[in-house]
Amino acid sequence: MSRVLMRGNEAIAEAAIRAGCQCYFCYPITPQGELVEYMARELPARGGAFLQAESETAAINMVYGASAAGVRTMTSSSSPGISLKLEGISYMAGARLPGVIVNIMRGGPGLGNIAPAQGDYFQATKGGGHGDYRLIVLAPSSVQEAAELVMLAFDLSDRYRTPAMLLADGMLGQMMEPVELPDPIDPATIPGRPWALTGAVDRAPNVVLSFDLDPQGLKEMNKGLQRTYQEITERELRWEEVDTEDADLLIVAYGSMGRIAKSVVRSAREEGIKAGLVRPITLWPFPYARIRELSERVSTVLTAELSAGQMWEDVRLAVGDRAATPFFGELGGVVPTPRDVLSEVKRYANG
Amino acid sequence: MANIKTLAKKQEQQVRLSSGHSLCAGCAEPMVVRTVLNSIDDPVVVANATGCLEVATSRYPGTAWNVPWIHSAFENAAATIAGVEAAYKGLLRAGKLERKVRFVAFAGDGGTYDIGLQALSGALERGHDFLYVCINNEAYMNTGVQRSSATPRCASATTSPVGDAIPGKPQDRKDLTEIVVAHHIPYVAQASVSNLIDLSNKVERAMAYDGPKFLNVLTTCPLGWRTRKDTSIPMAKLAVETRYWPLYEVVEGVYKINYKPKKHVPVEEWLKQQGRFRHLFKSPEGKSSLEEFQASVDENWERLLKKEQCLSGADAAQ
Repeated sequence: MSRVLMRGNEAIAEAAIRAGCQCYFCYPITPQGELVEYMARELPARGGAFLQAESETAAINMVYGASAAGVRTMTSSSSPGISLKLEGISYMAGARLPGVIVNIMRGGPGLGNIAPAQGDYFQATKGGGHGDYRLIVLAPSSVQEAAELVMLAFDLSDRYRTPAMLLADGMLGQMMEPVELPDPIDPATIPGRPWALTGAVDRAPNVVLSFDLDPQGLKEMNKGLQRTYQEITERELRWEEVDTEDADLLIVAYGSMGRIAKSVVRSAREEGIKAGLVRPITLWPFPYARIRELSERVSTVLTAELSAGQMWEDVRLAVGDRAATPFFGELGGVVPTPRDVLSEVKRYANG
Repeated sequence: MANIKTLAKKQEQQVRLSSGHSLCAGCAEPMVVRTVLNSIDDPVVVANATGCLEVATSRYPGTAWNVPWIHSAFENAAATIAGVEAAYKGLLRAGKLERKVRFVAFAGDGGTYDIGLQALSGALERGHDFLYVCINNEAYMNTGVQRSSATPRCASATTSPVGDAIPGKPQDRKDLTEIVVAHHIPYVAQASVSNLIDLSNKVERAMAYDGPKFLNVLTTCPLGWRTRKDTSIPMAKLAVETRYWPLYEVVEGVYKINYKPKKHVPVEEWLKQQGRFRHLFKSPEGKSSLEEFQASVDENWERLLKKEQCLSGADAAQ
């Protein structure tokens, strides 16, 4: 492995190809254009299929089709485009089709703007589309981690037969950083897909379906999904901790904000404030238990997000009344400096 | 009929799209918008799909629009204007409004040929009283020059890049104008930013009808076509002169070609001035692609001539 300087969007694309993504479907939207363009240049040359659809709805349904046909497949977009993909994501969850969706979030709601934001947390982690489904949501905070997590997203998606999302934002998509790209996987290690629609020769026909008119049948189907979600919750929780052992003030932040919070913890410690950080990497499943545990030992759990307070709800569910749970957020694509967050930390530390 | 004086006079009377927007140097889109809006006497309401025009004319807290203007997501200009028109008609029926108001939707080729086609088709079929103007610069320019289904064969775009695998976009462009004609609406036309009097006359003829009207207007994009910024009008004119972009209209099903170039100008003359086709002039494969391109232009032109002949006013009168 060697370190190369890459833009986040391009590193995600390259890592997806290295993860064995054979089919990629897209529709233009900023700020994830470089991902699309990288795939257009690279994927066909390396034996995969690149298709630009006529809409985001079409692109996610191409993913549905390719996944049912048994290949590793991905689509990417940014916030408004993800809204259009939600119907397809719900259908994939219902039909138990793996596939990776990348969301390079931007400011919303509506057209919003093309600046970094984290306003799609609810949409990603609380359903978004219709029905009782969950989406595995992975949130990187560096270009390196984005590359690693997109590969993990393929693995988890295949292992549990459920769609997975990489939730990043315009800052991570656009920034350039040195990255050590993981080696390409051996395609033989991709789990088999005995359920895929590959032509029923010498075997019973497979069925890929997201509906059952019989309520008892649909109930069983849903119970199966819930068992899978339970299993994912037990096995796949991921988060990072910084200086939590002796912390009195805990910051919870993910993605780009998690990265800012890391510098804040360092600066706060220099000023004698015992700050610590929990940075959830899986947003669903969410590390409730660990945050609850830590909340027993701190006075304050400060949630920081580039939103009006979406993950904040999950943090408060975890903390309850064991500690104060203030919130710091920025809106509309405004990115705070570490100093902005530090002054907030000082307010609570001195309070 | 419009002339340069009447158009200039209307611009003096009311500036419906003002300067101060942030469209690129050399972008021809504002000329299309001004000509269209200055050719309508009644008050207008404009719906605008996401795209260069929308982004560059409505940057908060400013706006370049001096008419009521509404934006909605990329695929919805036709649906949004349909909703506005339905509300207007409801107010008329309720006796709360009396004056005549006209409705215009502007969208680019991505928002019309691709993601907006469903909404456009629905609005045309339901028969709303509106004019839809596709400002066609043949790719997704606002997001960084990705190919659309209006992008011509062989053009290099960021999602149809020239390389060993493909010689630019492998597919032909979609014939959207004919798709709209198949909705049997009162007025359909192709126009070009190079022929503004023709464009203005078309808007006037279109607005004489109640019901859906459609204009497909070719506009140069110096960024995406990779042309010089001071050649946008000559470039669009050359597209007309080479018969690549015929100026024609279909009025109540009757075809009329509004301009027939007297001499045959090879389409190469248009292609060779654009960076997106530069690769065609560098290889033997490119040479055969050029021949195919010319053959396709000729074939389309011949087919249009036949349509004009078969579906002419004379036949309709019989």
